[in-house]
Amino acid sequence: MDFYASLQAVINGLLTGALYALVGMGLALIFGVMRIVNFAHGAFMMLGMYATYVLFTRTDVSPYILFILAGIVLFAVGYAIYYGLLRPIHGKSDFMQILLTLGVGLICTDGILLIFGADYHQINIPLLSRDFHLGSHISVNAPWVVSFGIAVVLALALYLFVMRTMLGRAARAIAQNRYAAPLMGINVFRVQAISFAIGIAAAGIAGGLLLPVFYIYPQVGDQFTLKAFVIVVLGGMESIVGAALAGLVLGVVESLTSLYWGNEWALAVDFIIFLLVLSLKPSGIFGSQKA
Amino acid sequence: MKGSHLLAALAVFVLSLLVPLVVQTDYVLQILFRIYLFAALGLAWNLVGGYAGQLSLGHAAYFGAGAYGLALFSGKLGISPWLAVLFGIMVALACALLIGGVSFRLRGPYFVLATIAFGEVLRLIVKNLPGITGGDVGLQVPALFHVNVNRAFYWAAVLLTALAYATTVAISRARFGYYLMAIREDEDTALSIGIGAARTKLLALLISAALTSLAGSLYGSLFLYVVPDQVLSIDVSNEIAIVAMLGGAGTVLGPIVGSVVLESASEIFKNIFKEAHLLIYGVLLVVVVLFLPEGIVGTLAAYLRRRAMFGGIGARAKGLAAR
Repeated sequence: MDFYASLQAVINGLLTGALYALVGMGLALIFGVMRIVNFAHGAFMMLGMYATYVLFTRTDVSPYILFILAGIVLFAVGYAIYYGLLRPIHGKSDFMQILLTLGVGLICTDGILLIFGADYHQINIPLLSRDFHLGSHISVNAPWVVSFGIAVVLALALYLFVMRTMLGRAARAIAQNRYAAPLMGINVFRVQAISFAIGIAAAGIAGGLLLPVFYIYPQVGDQFTLKAFVIVVLGGMESIVGAALAGLVLGVVESLTSLYWGNEWALAVDFIIFLLVLSLKPSGIFGSQKA
Repeated sequence: MKGSHLLAALAVFVLSLLVPLVVQTDYVLQILFRIYLFAALGLAWNLVGGYAGQLSLGHAAYFGAGAYGLALFSGKLGISPWLAVLFGIMVALACALLIGGVSFRLRGPYFVLATIAFGEVLRLIVKNLPGITGGDVGLQVPALFHVNVNRAFYWAAVLLTALAYATTVAISRARFGYYLMAIREDEDTALSIGIGAARTKLLALLISAALTSLAGSLYGSLFLYVVPDQVLSIDVSNEIAIVAMLGGAGTVLGPIVGSVVLESASEIFKNIFKEAHLLIYGVLLVVVVLFLPEGIVGTLAAYLRRRAMFGGIGARAKGLAAR
């Protein structure tokens, strides 16, 4: 394996990693900051893919515009699920949330399976046939670059939302002390509902951005749920920046694993890193010590 | 156990054994096999997930260890199938030691995530080492029974359920069972009164893994074939947990009731929804969490307790109102 092959793998990894980062940051907001254990995160990403797919086949507008609509749809879904299902069980044990979101995930996946069947679909856009060349050894497929650019912008927006806006501050205040927060005039349920919906929308948007470069099928989101948790734990729970970095790292690690050991080991390496971090440094690689 | 309970359990057991004399169709016997198998699996899971309150979503690892242990030790090394079943249990126990050793130090969602990750790592390893495990193609599993196969497997599943039930009853009434429940209610308090939480949880997991492995061997041997995406799939882990939670985690009868309800429902919905039959699992999970957080048996028991406690007062109040 020469130097250029490794460099190519790192670049590919960063491009994938940006989308992982977006999925992971959504969960970092939901699980890391708000402590809502969302086992349906990957399923929501899958819904984002199908929403974009359906809109694309109906309107033929570029998926790089339609992903915004997918984000809006998933925001609404997230908002409704928070008020309809999660709010009634607030204050109960984590296990109840886990089981509930596991159930929601199964309903999403198998609902889509029922409507669209188990077939694989792929969309075709002109951009797919364009490659960018860097020197004579490195080339990247154009859609990945576009997705990367959009993902970086959105990741930055998500960071600013959590750190700088009133709503983001309120969400973090609730995480710090959920009894003091309402005394400070924070409407806990409203803030959590909106933050949850934004986290889900981030997953859905990442799905929309992945559509041009991925096959879609109903179970496509399954592995992303656990991957998103890997990213959040690696990044250090409450850290949105940590999740973004962890997403990039995970992308590169997977890409290098695929290059040297084969594609089939990438997921196993993810989980082994995850278990090592959980057991050796539970505060995450990029996290502060207190978590 | 009160005498009447013991008698009822024995009666159900004997009746269960007699069923194949009446039911002759293989299709029905296979569904009943599945109901008993998942009842046993739910009971095994319940020791860890119900009594000790440690929600494991990685029990497919032990299930797969049973199925693959039988296939590998008997099919490849050529030792007798029943001895290979014991070797499968050994493999499951080794997995449990490793998984428990790491995961039990974690709490809440981290524990759940660690169990899922371990299960998935095992599935991927089995998938990616075709030289040993057959990879995606899978392995042939030797038959444990050669004559009257469907009846024999049905009886084996009934016996396994009886074993898991007896184990659960014994544990729930022993000091060990109270230790587990103390850990579930408040692990720090349990530690402070001198319960070795780590050791207690690990012992429960070992018992649970051994029973789960036995069920895995039976399952693999009935179909004569194992593939990783079937026996080691996260869907198996989920189904085992759902069976116990639906019936009532931490109750003796819960997993049995859960298996009867879930497996019959899924058999019906398999014909309607075809491949999308997991939909019913999702709906049941949501319903259980929102409306029956104690499960069917737990909710029913709480209702009966309330009625026994307040029934008298309620009746008197009614009597007063009538006067």
